[in-house]
Amino acid sequence: MRQASRKEQKDATQRRLVEVGLDFFAARGFANSNTADFAKAAGVSHGAVFLHFPTREALVLRVLDVFGDRLSAALKAAMQGEASFEGVLRAHLGVLRDYEPFYARLVQEGPLLPIRARSLLFIINASVSHRLKLVAEAEAAAGAMRKFAPHLLFNTWLALLHYYLANRDVFAPGESVLSAKGDELVAHFLDLVRKEAEKP
Amino acid sequence: MTLKCVSCGSCGFPMEKPEDFALGDPSQPYCRYCTDRAGALLPYEDVLETNARHYVETQGVNPEAAKAMAAALLASMPAWRDRPHA
Repeated sequence: MRQASRKEQKDATQRRLVEVGLDFFAARGFANSNTADFAKAAGVSHGAVFLHFPTREALVLRVLDVFGDRLSAALKAAMQGEASFEGVLRAHLGVLRDYEPFYARLVQEGPLLPIRARSLLFIINASVSHRLKLVAEAEAAAGAMRKFAPHLLFNTWLALLHYYLANRDVFAPGESVLSAKGDELVAHFLDLVRKEAEKP
Repeated sequence: MTLKCVSCGSCGFPMEKPEDFALGDPSQPYCRYCTDRAGALLPYEDVLETNARHYVETQGVNPEAAKAMAAALLASMPAWRDRPHA
């Protein structure tokens, strides 16, 4: 009995450390933060962090895994009922806006992160790309949109979002860049991909 | 708070509907993409190939880089984490 409750306690602490990690890495970044500051933010001793995560990388990867699970579930739920190209763009944008601080860090520091962390982001984006491809094909077949190679269509949209996210401090200081610029970005992207006759 | 659905123990694919599971059976630990018609787990190389192709097709990732990324993800999955040299 005692053993089980100690394990429960350990699991609860670990979950709390992950929650702190989500805010901590979003605010401080991955490259320029250390476990001593993380321990302070979590209100535990430096050694206690390593009782739960043997290395700094293990902590970062665990936090990224949890973030990936949440982002992925949120994207799936948001895109599920969207049958239009614009609807999927807006659903994608809305979820990224909800997760913006942490996601923006991933965009800014992605190439410096361990390959498993990078692959996580790419696998999440794979599902968005696939969804976008399905609705784009349907709209192209209906004559409303030009045809594109699916990966280029998605990468062009993502490049737009990521550019604003990577430079969010200058595009929208002190606020969510996707809230401030989201409508403009969606309208611009639709303008690029829609056929001339369909443009208002 | 989102509800976490069961994910494939081989590739991490989220399995929600019965048809997502091997043999259409929600008690199976792996998804339909990672298993053969009898529900048996496919060889590692096949699963790796399928996952890597996903990166290539959806985002135009270089095939070798896609393989390295897929291998990095599979290395933490229950089906493959004890595999020597992931």
